[in-house]
Amino acid sequence: MRSPFAYMPRFGPLQAASPAAAVAYLGALAAVAFLYSSPLVLLATGVALALAGRLAGAWGAVRAAIRIGLAIALPIVLVNALVVNRGETVLARLGEWPLFGQVDVTAEALADGAVFGLRAVVVMIAFAVYSACVDPDRVLRALRPLAGRSALTATLVSRLVPVAAADAARLRDAARLRGPGAAEVGRAPLARRLLAGSLDRAVDVAATLELRGYSLEPSPMTRAQAGGRSGPRPSPPKRRSRYERRFYLVGALVLAAAIAAKPLGADGFDAYPTVQLGFAPATVALAALIVLSGLAPLRRQPRRRRV
Amino acid sequence: MIRSRGTAVATALLLAALATAGCGLGPGADVGSVELTATREFGSVPMLERSLEASESDTVMRLLEGAADVSTRYGGGYVQSIDGFEEAQRGGHPYDWFFYVDGVESPIGAAEYRLRGGERIWWDYRDWSATNRVPAVVGSWPAPFVRGYEGERHPVAVECEGGGAACGVAREALEAAGVSVSAGSPAGAIRLLVGPWARLRSDPAAAQVEAGPATSGVFADFERRDGGYELLGLDSGGEVARGFGPGAGLVAATRRYEGPPVWLVTGATPAAVRAAADLLDAEKLRDHYAVASEDGKETPLPLGAG
Repeated sequence: MRSPFAYMPRFGPLQAASPAAAVAYLGALAAVAFLYSSPLVLLATGVALALAGRLAGAWGAVRAAIRIGLAIALPIVLVNALVVNRGETVLARLGEWPLFGQVDVTAEALADGAVFGLRAVVVMIAFAVYSACVDPDRVLRALRPLAGRSALTATLVSRLVPVAAADAARLRDAARLRGPGAAEVGRAPLARRLLAGSLDRAVDVAATLELRGYSLEPSPMTRAQAGGRSGPRPSPPKRRSRYERRFYLVGALVLAAAIAAKPLGADGFDAYPTVQLGFAPATVALAALIVLSGLAPLRRQPRRRRV
Repeated sequence: MIRSRGTAVATALLLAALATAGCGLGPGADVGSVELTATREFGSVPMLERSLEASESDTVMRLLEGAADVSTRYGGGYVQSIDGFEEAQRGGHPYDWFFYVDGVESPIGAAEYRLRGGERIWWDYRDWSATNRVPAVVGSWPAPFVRGYEGERHPVAVECEGGGAACGVAREALEAAGVSVSAGSPAGAIRLLVGPWARLRSDPAAAQVEAGPATSGVFADFERRDGGYELLGLDSGGEVARGFGPGAGLVAATRRYEGPPVWLVTGATPAAVRAAADLLDAEKLRDHYAVASEDGKETPLPLGAG
């Protein structure tokens, strides 16, 4: 079964844009989530990212990210409530605990934990949309001139991990096909078999790379062909997507607005000693702008030709 | 049926255990009023003076946050600023907030210090270039004698070391404050030493004064002069600011290691000790680290603070 976060080639503006443009756009929204604690701004960022994911055809990834994000957020809220002994509104006194000392659950610590959790959900959605919409091969190609070896390692990992996942699925299917009377296959034997298969495959890959001369330094001739630069030959320039500039612009606008609105009091949230939630005009305006930025992957309708 | 009864019994037992362990919903019962004071410069500049009702779940930090604009660090356990005054370098001197509960420096953080009701919490923003540890102060008289320290009551002993009439004055001041003075000096007692410095300096806790404020937390010293002693007042940097006359008395408090607070009512001469004993009054000592008495006038120590 395919992971909802796996990249799926689709014809959409976000997929067509260069990895740098997609990272600029999604990164700007993720950065807002780290810059702001205002629940309104965080919520707007989450909505924008979910909208972007929906428009880019990655709704499955967004839903999975929300599910996983909430599963992470809940323990964050609980741990924050138990560990942080601040806030004026004491909801429950849980007595003296080893390591924690006196534990008081306060409404403020719960609210603060909820904001941390919301931030985790938002960042999860950003990464889910990135993972589902940005071609990892294009990312690695873009990185190749900067860090050839790391790009090679990442390429191998990005190839071998799905292969191992497929192996696991095949092994599970094979185990099920033995029939209902067969003994249950435990996780440990399955993991052992997968590890052995992965090691075999790794040896094959290493031998192939060696045969192709990947362990050798590039020859002077290759360097000369590469225009004096070390490393592999540059790929021919790709045509730029017409949506490229849009993602750069929206990313820059969101980040600039977030930075500019911060001193204007847009980040109106204080958990302690009592929860202070600010809805200043700057907060509302920034939240609206962020939500609108989620429309960036909207596909432009082709113009109808007049007959 | 049996299973559901077992669950009900287990739940009841768990709830009973939680209730016994001091658990419950809400902030808990009221424990009484707590006096909260915030000052600057060794108590010389008042900032806040409030009497607040505290409940079972209240800590020193919670009380402060409810009464002043506070910013914190390190997960809310450390006070960075109160009403805009934050830890900083001022004129090359480090400034920070320190707090005392019933005149004794707390060994634990404000967020962990549970209130029991009746405490006097004193926050002071001061220069700590001379010492960051002032283990006990006199500004909450008679709190440590009446209420004990660190949440426990302790016996109170008056040790008269040649103090003469001053010993009686000191004892009367304690009794007037509702303190029952023990006979002798039982172990763990909060001691009030009364006598001329020549006698008191043989006590290990009192002798710390001669080692300077970094050891004793007392911004005063005694210098040998003409076969006797002269009381010296130190400034907030721990340097000698000036000498007092021979009739000057001193009321100061200190602690040796983690032992009980030890108060000193002393001076160079018997007259000076008597003058010091006259300072044992809430009005005269309030919000001061230590007080010197000269010609019937009280002078807070360290000198020149504020």
